[in-house]
Amino acid sequence: MKNKVQAFFLVMGGLVIAAGVVYGQLKKGYYSPAELGSLRQPAPVELLSDSSYQAAAYPVPVVDLTPGDGRQEVQIYCNTCHSPRYITMQPPLPAATWEAEVNKMNKTFGAGIPEDSTRKIILYLEAHYTVENRKQ
Amino acid sequence: MNMTERCLSRRGLLKIVGVTSSGMAIGRWLGPHVTMAQEPAHGKGMESFTGPGANSHWNSVGPYVTEPQKVPLILLTDRPVQLETPRHYFRTAFTPNEAFYVRWHLEAIPNAVDLKTWKLQIEGNVSKALALSLPELMQKFKPVSLAAVNQCSGNSRSRLQPRVPGGQWGNGAMGNAMWTGVRLRELLDMAGVKKGSVLVQFQGLETGPGPEGLGSNLFLKSLDLGNPVLDECVVAYLMNGEPLPMLNGFPVRLVVPGYFATYWTKCLTWIRILDVTDENFWMKTGYRVPDTPRGNTTPEEVKAGKVKTVPIERLPVRSFLISPDGSSKIPAGMNVTLRGIAFSGFGRVNRVEVSDDGGINWMTAKLGEDHGAYSFRTWEASWTAKSPGRYSLAVRATDEKNNTQPDEPVWNPGGYLWNRIARQEIVVGDAS
Repeated sequence: MKNKVQAFFLVMGGLVIAAGVVYGQLKKGYYSPAELGSLRQPAPVELLSDSSYQAAAYPVPVVDLTPGDGRQEVQIYCNTCHSPRYITMQPPLPAATWEAEVNKMNKTFGAGIPEDSTRKIILYLEAHYTVENRKQ
Repeated sequence: MNMTERCLSRRGLLKIVGVTSSGMAIGRWLGPHVTMAQEPAHGKGMESFTGPGANSHWNSVGPYVTEPQKVPLILLTDRPVQLETPRHYFRTAFTPNEAFYVRWHLEAIPNAVDLKTWKLQIEGNVSKALALSLPELMQKFKPVSLAAVNQCSGNSRSRLQPRVPGGQWGNGAMGNAMWTGVRLRELLDMAGVKKGSVLVQFQGLETGPGPEGLGSNLFLKSLDLGNPVLDECVVAYLMNGEPLPMLNGFPVRLVVPGYFATYWTKCLTWIRILDVTDENFWMKTGYRVPDTPRGNTTPEEVKAGKVKTVPIERLPVRSFLISPDGSSKIPAGMNVTLRGIAFSGFGRVNRVEVSDDGGINWMTAKLGEDHGAYSFRTWEASWTAKSPGRYSLAVRATDEKNNTQPDEPVWNPGGYLWNRIARQEIVVGDAS
């Protein structure tokens, strides 16, 4: 447990430093939680006449992933590079296609998902997002 | 005040007038000319996904979302951001910036750019590497303006059968704008491309958390130095006369007229001359189409490993009916105006035809103003349905190279190059 906590802080610290070093002058990829179906208009952002041109944070509404084994792994690993909306946006896909997609994330994109979690993610997608079983 | 203006639900109305069963009674009470709808239609949402059949809607089915500097657009994904433009924004030749679709590949996209430090860099195999500020781009070079369609390679991907994974776009991953900026050629000439160079590579400000060297880390695109399209490319700092929205590539974006948007690098910051081929994922693996007519193939051929691919390039000819959109009935005998747009990456659209019998008989539409070979061209036609019923309106365009939209579907594993004739069902009601 202690090792895990230390590793977590090491990784997080490394990420923060790396982000700070690489693009000090840019504020990148800033997202904030949001609700869908809201009729409220976003408030206008305050603009200053300096040289920084800024947009508000990009909203990230909660994604309704079907409950089931493997959902947690999806939320942890898939979320590293993209929100799980990349899953719910898809049409129902054949089981083999889901397997190929997850393998592509590891092999082509270097996601580095541990083997047991990879298996769990594939089984989760195959259990809820194919023609035979997709409900939401 | 007319009862119908009071926004009462039918159930509420029933309560008030104390009638419990007779709709007829209410109809009579309201008078002969107006009746309440059977059930209020609001509250019922679009389905949350389509498939395994083709998406039958013009747009994709996601919810609306309001992103920074944008009007509500259709959400495909939120991180990275992919947004589709709703159909009605295509009534005009130029798509408003705030409604222009959005497609990013990697998670870390800019929220802010500091123009004090930002520079456009031209580097690599050049005589003199350059780093130009935005004021330098605006003042040192003669501005050029050009209308050009920016269309996502995967636009209409949700039409394919069988469905393929990827952004499930309807038809709204496209837009047309008047782009103003600097000719790419002038920048290349100023830096001096050295002998033996083969490619020009483009990199913007987006980055991903993936390992260095992989497609999940950087989004890189390149064009052959011998490609004549380089003479037409513009590094644009204005979009429809305004600064680009951050989500569309502020401060500058590459415009590659006639080519799919994958080459139109957003937040363009590095222009790199290479003397080797580009082996990065986004050129070698991604955004490739079968080297066949229309990029067409089959799942079986792909499985058999028989398909040779090439990088995607120009936009095949397309056209759309924008209004009427099928959401309302049209009374029989009413003369209505059909409106839409057409474009081609191969040359000016010079003919648009419409059909009201699903594509058997065609009549020629009137073309709108010509904003240049790479722009949307609006069209309109007048139409009267004499009798009630369901009509299948179809539209097809032809460009000056005599490319006409085909009526056959296309399939490839990337879900690219869809340009089949589009149809819209219109219900004509009894007017008497």
